[in-house]
Amino acid sequence: MAATIRLTVPGTLRYRDVAIRVVAESARMLSSSDPTFDTAVIAAFGEIFNNVAIHAYQRCRGPIEISIAPGDRELVIEVKDQGHPFDPSAVPPLPSELDEDSLPEGGMGIHIAKTMLDEVTYEAGPPNLWRLCKRLPGGVRASI
Amino acid sequence: MPAFSVTRSNEATTLAVRGSLDINTAPQLADEIDRIVADKPTLVIVDMSALDLIDSSGVAALVKLYKGVRGVGGNMTISGARDQPLAIFRLLRMDRVFNV
Repeated sequence: MAATIRLTVPGTLRYRDVAIRVVAESARMLSSSDPTFDTAVIAAFGEIFNNVAIHAYQRCRGPIEISIAPGDRELVIEVKDQGHPFDPSAVPPLPSELDEDSLPEGGMGIHIAKTMLDEVTYEAGPPNLWRLCKRLPGGVRASI
Repeated sequence: MPAFSVTRSNEATTLAVRGSLDINTAPQLADEIDRIVADKPTLVIVDMSALDLIDSSGVAALVKLYKGVRGVGGNMTISGARDQPLAIFRLLRMDRVFNV
């Protein structure tokens, strides 16, 4: 099992790509570049980073502590912030029948994260804690 | 290099989006969306063949474009979607609405 990677970045969108690059490379190391796995992890983490920067810190600077823990068959990412707590239950579900009138213009990020990953949990803090888990497909063991 | 370009013909307005359309790049598209809608196009084609990544902010920008174009009596379709952007549109069940 590889070591846990820890990274702290300012909680603004300017540092989003830095954090995503580290997460992306960690996913690639674990999955041996399985594009489905990597894409899911990157997309979901990006949405959670957006959520923290916009809703928790409300575009003001504060630290985002990221922990990336590769396991034998899964990748666990924890994201901590000291900002305003978030209520995931307040995010409306996607309409069951999507049409021109019901197309949402917001609230899609959490839905993307939850659908892309195997587990997404949130604990209000401080610190607020997002825990994201993506398992390798079909019981594949990690390559690191 | 801009992440998007617009070409206009008699038949359609084509918006080509490249690279990543996300929370950092989508705002750059907002003014262009306003200009496209102001032209009252009959057909807008969003060419996503060179788009590698999209997030919810990028999707929201395209939803805004879609609603704007429909609001002035036009249509919008998406062409060339692949990989992660296609997966996101399917996940959000927007692929049917946009004829992806």
